[in-house]
Order: sequence, then structure tokens, then C-alpha cells
Amino acid sequence: MLADPAVSQTSMCSYWLSPVCGVLESPSMDDHQDSSLVVGVGLCDSAPLLWRLQDLKTVRSLGLVGALLGSLPRTPRQNQRLGRPLLLLPEEEKLLRDEEAAGALPGQNQDVGGVELQRRFEEDQQRSFEEQSVLALEDRKSALLRAMTSSHTGESALRRRLEALDHSFTFPQSAMAVQLSTARAGLSYCPEARAHLQANWPIREQNSPRSDARCQVFRDLRGRGFFLTSAGKFGGDFLVYPGDPLRFHAHFIAVCLMLDESVCLLDVLAVARLGSNVKKTVLLCSP
Amino acid sequence: MGFSENGKQYLLPEEALYLMECGNVQVFYRDLPLSIQDGYERFLSSATVSLQQYQVFGHLKRLGYVVHRFDPSSEPSSYARQLNLPQSRDRAGRQLKRKRSPSPTATCSYTEAPVEPTVEKMEEDKCSLEGDHVKKLAASPDIQTATTSGSDEGRSWWTTDDLGASDKELHHSPTSRSSRWDFSSIPFPDVGSSERHPSCLAPPEPSLLPGDLTVGVCDIASWRRKINLRMVKMSSKEQKREEDKRRRRWDVNKDREVRRCRNWAEYHELLARRQRKRKGRPAHLWNREVTPLHDPRQPIPTGELLDKISVIKSTHLLEGASRLKGSEEWRICFNVYQPDTVADFKKSNPGKPYSRMCVCSFDGPVPDLRVIKLLAFQSGDIPVVFAVVDHGDISFYTFKDFQLPTDVFP
Repeated sequence: MLADPAVSQTSMCSYWLSPVCGVLESPSMDDHQDSSLVVGVGLCDSAPLLWRLQDLKTVRSLGLVGALLGSLPRTPRQNQRLGRPLLLLPEEEKLLRDEEAAGALPGQNQDVGGVELQRRFEEDQQRSFEEQSVLALEDRKSALLRAMTSSHTGESALRRRLEALDHSFTFPQSAMAVQLSTARAGLSYCPEARAHLQANWPIREQNSPRSDARCQVFRDLRGRGFFLTSAGKFGGDFLVYPGDPLRFHAHFIAVCLMLDESVCLLDVLAVARLGSNVKKTVLLCSP
Repeated sequence: MGFSENGKQYLLPEEALYLMECGNVQVFYRDLPLSIQDGYERFLSSATVSLQQYQVFGHLKRLGYVVHRFDPSSEPSSYARQLNLPQSRDRAGRQLKRKRSPSPTATCSYTEAPVEPTVEKMEEDKCSLEGDHVKKLAASPDIQTATTSGSDEGRSWWTTDDLGASDKELHHSPTSRSSRWDFSSIPFPDVGSSERHPSCLAPPEPSLLPGDLTVGVCDIASWRRKINLRMVKMSSKEQKREEDKRRRRWDVNKDREVRRCRNWAEYHELLARRQRKRKGRPAHLWNREVTPLHDPRQPIPTGELLDKISVIKSTHLLEGASRLKGSEEWRICFNVYQPDTVADFKKSNPGKPYSRMCVCSFDGPVPDLRVIKLLAFQSGDIPVVFAVVDHGDISFYTFKDFQLPTDVFP
């Protein structure tokens, strides 16, 4: 289940499997902070999303899991395995920003490269069309040959058709297969300079004491090597995995409380019952 | 999915994005195809469809349901449902309601209370008399207001903005002019001020009055006597005198509550009630001997007995829901129809939806009873499902109306 390395370089292709599987092969990148690996975060409706394949690998190597939201291009009509974009938790986004490992992607209205992009697009289309018409012709010929060898009657008619094919074959434009890119096309053409990315990070701080508490708990548990994901379904704040979520089940449900917050005993009982039903230990955490 | 209008086929943004993700549709903007990232960033926003709503939409569509946007105005009201009216459906169900802008004539042709310039302003206004535009007003001679003077400045604010021009035609109906009022130039009389003031208001401009109506001067002297009154301090003898006068004038039949009593028994009740109130005991408390609600020696069926001794009345979810006003955060987003194999769904006649979705998140508050009542009322007889989005996971919750069973043998 390796992502094909030849294709994963371009961010234009969206047909390949979830990149998460490819990252498992290199677990030693945990503490490796390459200065060139800056993750570009796009904002959609004030939610931080990751679009590029390399960004997803980087983020996974840092121990941040996130959640995939989009349809998987190969099998779009199922909900078991989803594809890009990757949604980051607010704590994950804050962690990336504080370690200066992430920056905002440039926005959409880049008219500077507009004409250039269009020219490139048209060139790519033309090249793709030519390749596809050659392949279509070969495909047709091989189909006819197979028909000739399999059926013993009408061989001469088929042979004549084969010879006429070279002259009269046309590949219509409307039959061409086109490729829809997942990440924005223009980005793969410009180098990822750190300054270029971090220029306009919009400040969306929600400085409530609760979110501070959550952030500190996240940092602490992440620092101890646990992987954390969101746990709304389980009635807590985070699900704590001892390793990569693809390998393990969660061992803990972390509920974040503030230091001076008083908790009703009934709530503690309810969350304890829930934890025992799903075979997880409930952690009450406060910074 | 989609709808057609003006002969063209349109797609809603969430539908277009979903088809792009499935690889069935390519969207072009400025001759370049949009990538999926562009689609997310352009089509999804809190103004149109938010990211969470799109997640729910995509999830349901991938499972095979048919998901349409919810339009509250297309649902029949409870009264219409009671009458069982046949549903009328137009082809493009998503047309915007025609906005009715207020007609510009409405504001100018209808004049409010006649606005007259105050005395002070008029005396300062040394505006020249426009010879042919002076109105002959039926003003009594002892008025010092300059109503007789050609106070076109004060009088012509309703016709134009530009007050300085001299050849205004006051006979023009106001509807022909644009109604931009300059309120700083409209003088309102301060009739309540204690300064020296005329006791009459001049009549309004006849051109503003409808038809042949003529209005004379308005005498406000009696009214002005009633305002700005001060409390009079009375000596004790004076107070006693007032008290006696009041008591002599007081008639028991003038009391409104006494008048409401129809017979002597009720009057006695009223007196008793007032007596008790004075003692401090609430009127609704039982003050006689306490006896059982039902005499056990009398046989009645169990059902009736339960009704007799019941204290709490049971209610249902929609009770009182029609009075609730809508709120901004909680609203039904989608209608969900079952896939074609299970129910017959046609674009022209979708039929009843399977359920309605309201999208929220675990970060937000849990819907309270008021919200549940409101949404259930809006939805009618179709259950409302809350789709709670939590960073990529969606959980569906619904509330069911439930009556406690009573174990009664018939």
C-alpha cells in the first residue's frame, strides 16, 4: 500500500491512495525538523486544512493526526476511507505555528500568474490529448486483433478494417480523460519559501481559559509521545493513543478541566461509566 | 440534484463541490479548471454553506441519500395541513421570494401631524415674501406666528430638499418629487416648553390635505394646562378636607370589581377575598377541612380514578411551539430523501422527506427544549435529526416525543 513515488511528487494528481500509509515506512522522522519542510495551511471557512501530499506526510511525522474530510478519489462513494483535505485540531494548528513549522498558503486571487497558468494549462491539455489519442489508437488495434484471432469468420473484413484504421481514426476531444487536481495548481510551480508562506497568517485566537487548558494538555501528552485525536463521540476532549492510530486502539479518553473548576460527581460517574463501556480509561487532566 | 432556471441548468455550490470530488464535474473559472482546494475555499463559507454542513451533505450523499436544501417557506403551515390542501409545486422550487420594496410615493403623499414652525424660528426667519406663492391662511389675527408671512422656507420642506430656491411650485403633488427629507430643516414645535407660546397651532397646508378637507386652527390651550403641572403641597387641614370630600363622593357601586359581581353571593365572596388578602393569606389556598379527593366507598373505573387524582397534565412536544420565534443559530439545513430504490423520488414531486437535518457541532451548546420545539414545529410531522460534527466524525441524534404509558384495565 505504498503511494507511488513517481506520482506523489506532483501535487496535481489526486488519484492515489491516502498518503498516510506511505508515512509509516519512515517512522524515524519524529524529531527531524527539516527547515525546508514547512507545511502550508489553507483556510476554508476559518478551518485549517492541509492539501498537499508532502504536508500531510510532514505533519504525520511530527505526530499530529488530524482528520481527513474529502472523498477518496479512487472510490468516492464510501465513507470508510476518506481523502484530502486534512483538518487540523486547533491545538495542532497552534503547535505547528509555535514551532514555526507551518504557514498560510497564498490566497486564490493571484492574477499575477493568471495568463501564464492558462498557457501552461492549455499546453498540458494538448500534450495529454496527443498521448491519449496515440494510446486510443493502439487500444483499438489490439481490440481488433483480438477479435480477429478469436473469431474465425469474417477475418478478411476485420483485416481491412485494421488497415483502414491508421488513416481514418479520430480521437474526439470530448472523449479525453481529464485530471482534476486536489491542491491548487499554481502552488507546485513556485518554491515553498518560508517567508512566502507565513506572510499573512490570519489571527483567529479564541483565548478562553478552556482552550488554553486544552492546548497545554495537548502539548504535554504529545510531548510524552502519545498521539491525540478529537473525542467528541466519547464525551471527552481527546482520544489518547500510545502510538500511531493506524496501529493501536485508544487507551485513554482525556477530559480537560481547569484547575479551579468544580466538577459535579454525577458527571464523573457518567464519564466513568462511558469509559468502562468502551474499554478505555478516562483521564481527568488539568494544566 | 440541481435546478433549472431561465432554461439553464444550475448547480448549488455544495452539489458542485461534491460532484467535483467524485470526479464527475469540472468547474471552470476564468477559463481555468478549479482544483478541489479552490472549490472548498470558494464555495464554502458561513454565508452560503459552511464546512460542517458540507461534511454532513457529502457524508449522506456518499451513502446514497438524496439531499436537498430546506426552504422553510415551502412547508405548509399547520393550518394548511389541517385543511389538507393539495400541495402546489412550481418547477424551480428555489426561486427567491420577490422582495417588495416600499413604494416611494407612500412616504411623501401621506403627511403626518401638521408640522408648524415655531414662533422663534419664524420671527428670526426674515425670508422674503414670494409674491404669488403666499398662502392666504385663515389665521386669527392675534397669532404672532408668522404664518401670514411668506414662510416658504419652513413650509416647503416636503416638496424639495433645496429650500433656497424661490420658484418652487407648492401646488405640485409631492409624489412627483423625490422624497429625501432633510430633517434638520423641518421645524417641530416644542409645545411643551414653558416659554411664551401661542395657544393655537396654525392649520396645515391645504395642499397636503386630501380632497376638500379644510382644517381650522387647533386650540391647544386646554392641553397645555394639563402638562408641566407641579405637585401642590397641602397643609394638614387641607388634606383632611380633601379626604372628606373624597369619602363623601365615594360610592361602593363605582368599584369595578363590585360591579362585576352578579349576585349577593359573589359580593360576599369578594369581601371575603379582600379580607383574606389583608390578612396575608393567598386566596387560592384551601381553608376548609381536608378530605380525600375520592371517596373510596364509591366505585368508579380505574381510568376515571386516575384522571380524578392526577395532578400533572401531560403535554406534547408541539404545544406552544407556534408562538416561538425563530433563532439565527439553529435552523434546519437539509431535507433528506431515501434513495430511489426504497422510495419513489421525482424532482418535480419529491414527496415527503425521510428526515430533516440540523447541523451543529460538539463545541456548541446542546439544543434546549425551546430549540427542539421550534425545529419540530418548522418541520411538521417529519422527524428532525441533529447531525453533530466533530472534526471529521458525524454522529446523528434525534429526539422522540414520548408519552408515559398508563397501565389501565378497561
